[in-house]
Amino acid sequence: MPQTMLDGRVARHELRPAPDHLTAFFWEAALRHELAIQKCDGCGYFNHWPVPRCKKCWSTALSPTKVSGQATVYTFAVATQAFHPWFESRLPFVVAVIELAEQSGLKLVSNVIGCPVDDVHCGMAVEVTFEDVEEGFTLPMFRPAATRGLGQ
Amino acid sequence: MKGQRVAVVGVGYSTIGRSTGLSLDDLAVEASIAAMADAGLKPTDIDGVATHCFPHQLVRPTRVADLLGIPDLGWYSGNFDGAAYVVAAHHGIAAVASGSCHTCLTIRSVHRMGASGGTRAWPADGIAGVDQFLVPYGDTTAAHWAAMYMQRHMHEFGTTPEQFGEFVIAQRDYAAANPDAIHRTPLTMDDYLSSRMIARPLHVLDCDYPVDAGSALIFTTEERARDMVHKPVFFESWAAGTTDVLDFHLLESMPQSSPWRAAQRMWSKTDLGPDDVNIAGLYDGFSFIAMQWMEALGFCGLGESGPFVEAGHTRPGGRLPTNTDGGACNVGRRHGANFFIEVTRQLRGECGDRQIPGASVGVVSNSVGGFAGCALMINE
Repeated sequence: MPQTMLDGRVARHELRPAPDHLTAFFWEAALRHELAIQKCDGCGYFNHWPVPRCKKCWSTALSPTKVSGQATVYTFAVATQAFHPWFESRLPFVVAVIELAEQSGLKLVSNVIGCPVDDVHCGMAVEVTFEDVEEGFTLPMFRPAATRGLGQ
Repeated sequence: MKGQRVAVVGVGYSTIGRSTGLSLDDLAVEASIAAMADAGLKPTDIDGVATHCFPHQLVRPTRVADLLGIPDLGWYSGNFDGAAYVVAAHHGIAAVASGSCHTCLTIRSVHRMGASGGTRAWPADGIAGVDQFLVPYGDTTAAHWAAMYMQRHMHEFGTTPEQFGEFVIAQRDYAAANPDAIHRTPLTMDDYLSSRMIARPLHVLDCDYPVDAGSALIFTTEERARDMVHKPVFFESWAAGTTDVLDFHLLESMPQSSPWRAAQRMWSKTDLGPDDVNIAGLYDGFSFIAMQWMEALGFCGLGESGPFVEAGHTRPGGRLPTNTDGGACNVGRRHGANFFIEVTRQLRGECGDRQIPGASVGVVSNSVGGFAGCALMINE
């Protein structure tokens, strides 16, 4: 999904992650449209960002584990200035700290999309979605959670 | 046990400006010469140097000593981790208190473009390390997490943009009385609210002002301090604090981050308390940081810094005159050292038009989020 910059050029996303042996699973899962977080086989604790040893029990037996993607917005900012051309056409956009449902305090940073920026609020229920930025590069993002109304 | 009592006996700044053309070493040397002149000390009187720098801007203490003609260091520390100048201060205090050295120069040099933030070139081979979880989302500067801290405070406690604005306006009024401040024109609330929004709710006027700056303070033992030029200012207590989760975004509580740990630890090591303090220098890398410190240090309750500021308590005659030099938003980013220098000068009683009458106990602080530090200073 190349973006057209203000000067008319189409920018490739220069801000791709450079995965390493700890983080590659996260980005590979994103390509499959899955959100995966490192979980300790020993004590069950989710660690994010990925670590070489579990922070709770020091185990090195850590498995990428698909999570539900259900989450809430802990906090957010509405970016109104682009610090890289890629973001110019996206302004304003929401950068948020997202707390995942699986574990209290398990957080990551992402964007909230799929609603007007003024609708985003702390405590908002969101769910994971995926933006295929370009070949081989997908970003997990979050959108308002599907309404679980009368039909559940 | 805190060891020997430690005093501040000299303070100084380098040439300061947007683009000084001075190297980081030059800035450190200029500031050190100014501090040594203030204290009436010669290079042979100094036997310790502590520096704090950004990782990519290391100013080596041994190099500074060499450039200054300090013949022999009994102790030195060059540090790039943690909470900016307060780290060099804590190292210097601990070194003098323990007797590792008797007279320590502590230094913070910073270049305008050195801090995180601003438009920068990114590596062509992708974003490595923890930044890979931030930068692709447009979370590219400290201003982004700062805005998120403000938003969370507004959510939990009903803090308003006008309350952040009142803090910014009040410290600009102090800057107007400081001939060394860079920004001295008083601000109105409309000026604040209409200033450029970087990431809502954070305005450009919530941010410190990037400059090239060198800052230096000299610490020594009480016995030596008694013979020096100025009435000594003593460190009564000092402490750092960190959080379970280091990252500034992911830590457990943004409104109660590392300043709460540092403050609690600092108060646990003194008989004094918040009611004894009558002047403060609270780090304002972003305005909300100073307000978090007001809460963490117990000058108001959790979540109450907005009303506290709005009531005028950081102004002259208020409960806690704060950042009387104008803060880093107005004197420029000196990464914490200006708070130590200004409070020292206030406790000496040499601040002229902005002098707070009766200033005798001051608190200074630095940083927020994953790591922070503070100190309590007293003029007797």
